[in-house]
Amino acid sequence: MKLHEHEAKEVFASEGIPVPRPVLATDPDAAARAARDLGFPCVLKSQVLRGGRGKAGLIKLVRTEPEARDTAAALFGGPHGVRKILVEEAVDIDRELYLSITVDPAAAEAVVLVCSEGGVEIEDLAARSPEKIVRERVPPAEGLSPYRARNVAYALGLSGEAAKKTAGILEALWRVFRKNDAELAEINPLFLTKDGLVVAGDGKLAIDDNSLFRHPGREPGRDYYDSDAAFESAAEGIPYLQFDGDISLMCAGAGLTTVVYDLIVDEGGSVANYLEFGGPNYKKAVRAMELCLKNDPKVILIVTFGTIARADVMAEGIADAVKRLAPKCPIVACIRGTGEEKAVETLRGLGLDPLFDTEEAVRRAVALAAAARAPGAAPKAGGSK
Amino acid sequence: MSVFIDRSDRVLVQGITGGEGTFWTKHMRDLGTDVTAGVTPGKEGQSVEGVPVYHTVRRAVAEHPADAAMLFVPPRFTKDAVLEALDAGIRKVVTIADGIPLHEALEIRAAARSCGARVVGGNTSGVISPGRAMMGMFPYWIERVYRPGRIGVMTRSGSLTNEVAAMIVRAGFGVSSLLGVGGDSVPGTRFAEFLPDFQADPETDAVVVIGELGGTMEEEVAEAIESGTFRKPLVAFLGGRNAPKGKRMGHAGAIVTGGKGTVEGKTAALRRAGAAVADRPRLVGELLREILGDPAQI
Repeated sequence: MKLHEHEAKEVFASEGIPVPRPVLATDPDAAARAARDLGFPCVLKSQVLRGGRGKAGLIKLVRTEPEARDTAAALFGGPHGVRKILVEEAVDIDRELYLSITVDPAAAEAVVLVCSEGGVEIEDLAARSPEKIVRERVPPAEGLSPYRARNVAYALGLSGEAAKKTAGILEALWRVFRKNDAELAEINPLFLTKDGLVVAGDGKLAIDDNSLFRHPGREPGRDYYDSDAAFESAAEGIPYLQFDGDISLMCAGAGLTTVVYDLIVDEGGSVANYLEFGGPNYKKAVRAMELCLKNDPKVILIVTFGTIARADVMAEGIADAVKRLAPKCPIVACIRGTGEEKAVETLRGLGLDPLFDTEEAVRRAVALAAAARAPGAAPKAGGSK
Repeated sequence: MSVFIDRSDRVLVQGITGGEGTFWTKHMRDLGTDVTAGVTPGKEGQSVEGVPVYHTVRRAVAEHPADAAMLFVPPRFTKDAVLEALDAGIRKVVTIADGIPLHEALEIRAAARSCGARVVGGNTSGVISPGRAMMGMFPYWIERVYRPGRIGVMTRSGSLTNEVAAMIVRAGFGVSSLLGVGGDSVPGTRFAEFLPDFQADPETDAVVVIGELGGTMEEEVAEAIESGTFRKPLVAFLGGRNAPKGKRMGHAGAIVTGGKGTVEGKTAALRRAGAAVADRPRLVGELLREILGDPAQI
């Protein structure tokens, strides 16, 4: 779960990392008042979970109260779904650094990544000039010892108070990373100001989804998702990704669903949504189909090869879903695994033509979607023939 | 001989009294696995499928020495259960738990490495040598998927394993040992760490790797081939070729970040090393036939 900047900075500040004075605003008038109270110039920062906010025009420097109000109104009214604006005092910048802590999966330990160029996309920099990135490993048994923080600060070419403060911030960032079960804790940029302060200009904090049960206040609300269906499926524990194509996937297993996605693209088709109803969700066919139908798909494609998720139980669920929801689009089903003989009977009872080969099922779904797109085409209800 | 688990291994089941534990303990035994004891705190004195249950691993192994531990334990208790098995001297552990907290996955791997143990998983169906033994949850009774044979399999995905194994069998081959390393970003054991075992296994002629986007495990396999550590034929099938950048495709580990972990990059690395890469499940069987010949003639 990615936190919004204002949430991340709140956590940072609680561990002693200096941040610019903040006020959170939810409408243009509040933003203008906040700006006046903080003093000009100040910065309006849209709280949306996407990278490159600066380039997208979602962060603006304002110098007067009317300008603050107009700018905030434009941001709230823009196409990016901005619901909150973080108003911050502007900082007199001397230098910018990059600082992050993440997990190195191959080494199975945390790693500190820093760079003396702040504000850059670290991934671009890693590709372009990897020698500019300083890495410091953090062995799980040891944690981020103070000497490691000093290694990093001096490797950045800092000296005096700036080095000491940066090392201190890095130790605080490690506490943030540990206490919040983070996948990523990042300050980009970290400002060194002309009057000798070190301040977090931005804040990113991503909490490991598997650890959210330890962080009760952190259930992600609607503004953490890009569609209603994505939000509702997350609440149900159904893995879901929103796309904008024709074919709704209702598959079982992450690996298989991902491959079905690949094969659809290979065949020239497009995906409306990725959805897994395997594993613990294999009795949730009705809910799964309901979520798919929100996308008004041209075809629903069901592919499973289940073990614990029994084929016969999934087929029963699909029968139930078809009866209750009466989808108007065709359904292509390829349900295999434990209990598949009975599953086949159930599907035939629905008037479906059950398939056994994934690639054949994909080809049929893509053909049906293409036919439904053709001018004057009326998709056949319920069946797949 | 098989890789990781054989009939001679004495297996302890942690979490044996739960639904999954009970169900799969029966199937592990039916296949021939030597399940000697089970553990569920508070349930000592009960028995599951004829297997005696103990409060703790220490108490269980005092009566029934064990070579391996199979965990049917929820993700949030998995680290503790792994440490308990390691503390009792067990050096092979399989955990199916889907949702192990990331920081605990780091601790699990560090603990295993510090005592020379192997932890397989989480987020896996486990390990099986068809016709011999298994630790985990495989529908071994589906003959068109789990036929014994001479192809080793390593995989990050349970559902895809059924799909690809069926193609291996359809081409006339069978499976020697199948190891599910799991779909997490920090698995207990990585693909390349099993390659020396497959290299040494006289009953494995070739290995199929079922990988996907994200991480560097497939690249490490390519390195093991290039360095000569692994010298048998290898066929890979990789999911997520067309996955949009920055989207996590189901598994925690299945995401491309900053241009790293693409299937394109993995495919290039494997082909450069001399491995064959299938872009459809069906091609896995066909490539095996091209490389090894018609299995009916061998």
